[in-house]
Amino acid sequence: MTGYLAFLKKEFFEYTKTFKLFIMLMVFAVFGITNPLTAKLLPEILGSLIPDSVVITLPEPTAYDAWTQFFKNATQIGLLVMVILFSSVLSSELSKGTLINLLTKGLSRTAVILSKYTCMVLLWTTSIALCFGLTYGYTVYLFPKDETSNLLFSVFCLWLFGLFLMAALLFSATLTRSSYGCLLVTGIVVVICMILNIIPAVHRYNPISLSTDNMGLIMNSIKASALYSTIVITCLLSLIFVSLSIVVFRKKQI
Amino acid sequence: MGVLEIRQLYKRFGHHEVLKGLDMDVPEHSIFGFVGQNGAGKTTTMKIILGLLKPDNGSVTVCGEKVEYGGSGTNRHIGYLPDVPEFYGYMDPMEYLKLCGEIAGLTKSQIKSRSEELLELVGLKEHRKKKIGGFSRGMKQRLGIAQALLNEPKLLICDEPTSALDPIGRKEILDILLAAKGKTTIVFSTHILADVEKICDRIAVLHGGKLALCGTLSEIRERHRLHGFILEFGSEKEASCFENAEELKQPSISLSRNGSTVKVFLADGDMDGHFLLDVLSQKHIVPLKFAVMEPTLESLFVEVIR
Repeated sequence: MTGYLAFLKKEFFEYTKTFKLFIMLMVFAVFGITNPLTAKLLPEILGSLIPDSVVITLPEPTAYDAWTQFFKNATQIGLLVMVILFSSVLSSELSKGTLINLLTKGLSRTAVILSKYTCMVLLWTTSIALCFGLTYGYTVYLFPKDETSNLLFSVFCLWLFGLFLMAALLFSATLTRSSYGCLLVTGIVVVICMILNIIPAVHRYNPISLSTDNMGLIMNSIKASALYSTIVITCLLSLIFVSLSIVVFRKKQI
Repeated sequence: MGVLEIRQLYKRFGHHEVLKGLDMDVPEHSIFGFVGQNGAGKTTTMKIILGLLKPDNGSVTVCGEKVEYGGSGTNRHIGYLPDVPEFYGYMDPMEYLKLCGEIAGLTKSQIKSRSEELLELVGLKEHRKKKIGGFSRGMKQRLGIAQALLNEPKLLICDEPTSALDPIGRKEILDILLAAKGKTTIVFSTHILADVEKICDRIAVLHGGKLALCGTLSEIRERHRLHGFILEFGSEKEASCFENAEELKQPSISLSRNGSTVKVFLADGDMDGHFLLDVLSQKHIVPLKFAVMEPTLESLFVEVIR
């Protein structure tokens, strides 16, 4: 336990000192601010680009557009940035050999994996909370009349998908020695989820639904209860990935 | 009881068998020189002792506790200095030692006093607030020793601590190790034989996956004493007179003369220096010098790995 806390502190210190924390927060803060703004301004920008002779009518932007931007940016670019930043979570320590000193001080390998996962989860939680808070504030300000449903639940689903993705990332990191290998295996996991999603029967149990059904939840076209089984499955899979990471890492020759 | 006991250790990487039944005992409070060529398996052995590599067969016991691969229980007795110690470049030495101390379970005040004491010992006191990223190799090596000694280990394992350093850096590291001798047992791998002769009281030579030689330096010297003698004469005439003595014309005796110096090797175990002295007194020659040839560590090393 002392090892876990000490190493967790070191992880935070590292993310702060190497600017990774800063990059994450910046990216998500920029998204947080631009999501509602893009939604609000896009019709005007488009309108100014199209010559006056062409007449097209653009629908009046709503809060839904802002949230569409939020879920698109957070899932596509935000998660990508996060995965890239975290891809060297183990490989840099293994290839440089910085972990050897600490392991030979009596730090358990389980503590390494658990504190790394904890740190990633906390960073992701902070980032998504920041992004959500900013988007929410601006959306309420810019589109005061629009009502959304299941908003928090929808964001929770996205957050949970992030947890799943990071568990997969950590597992990939224990399997491979390089950060590219880690990215590759994580990519394969995501692609498998996407391919499986083609089968309608699997959709309800596929973790990736948590990152694709968000707008449906907000617009009430998908019932929250439809995702309950997915949530259970995702939690289980994340747990399995983290446990497997520990098992594999304990057996790894360093 | 020895601090470190290794029994029948086997390890192969692919088709390459590195260790083939290694047995080794390290008694308490010794500086144990672990010598071998590059690639002989020194680092592999050390990593197995630390539970970082999995042996194919055999057991390692540290302070009476069996080492478990992947676990780190026995590591609380051990301080380890890797051949090229790596640190987090964004930390300064104090921060790094604090992290190590917290992991080793020391209290705050212990960490503070030990860190300052050790940085003083390794001569990094004035650099204690500088980022490790800018450290030279010698400085990293010294910080590595400080880190290894932090939890007052019973066994200090150093993997080629001096190989990459300049002569002054080497001397400094050896002095630090000598200073640590009273408090801990040191196992120290190297292929620089001069370093071994300088500080080690016991050596083991690893060759072909086994210990080819093991014991205290004087024991080994005694055991491998060549029956060789150097005789220096006052003139070349005396030297050639001795060289051509009838008594020495035996197949088990080999002679070589260079000016007025004669080297004699006796292959027959029953013969010793008395025999040569008898020959000298018969010829009525008094040599200027009569010396027994001492084997150097280097000659021993070359002999066992051949």
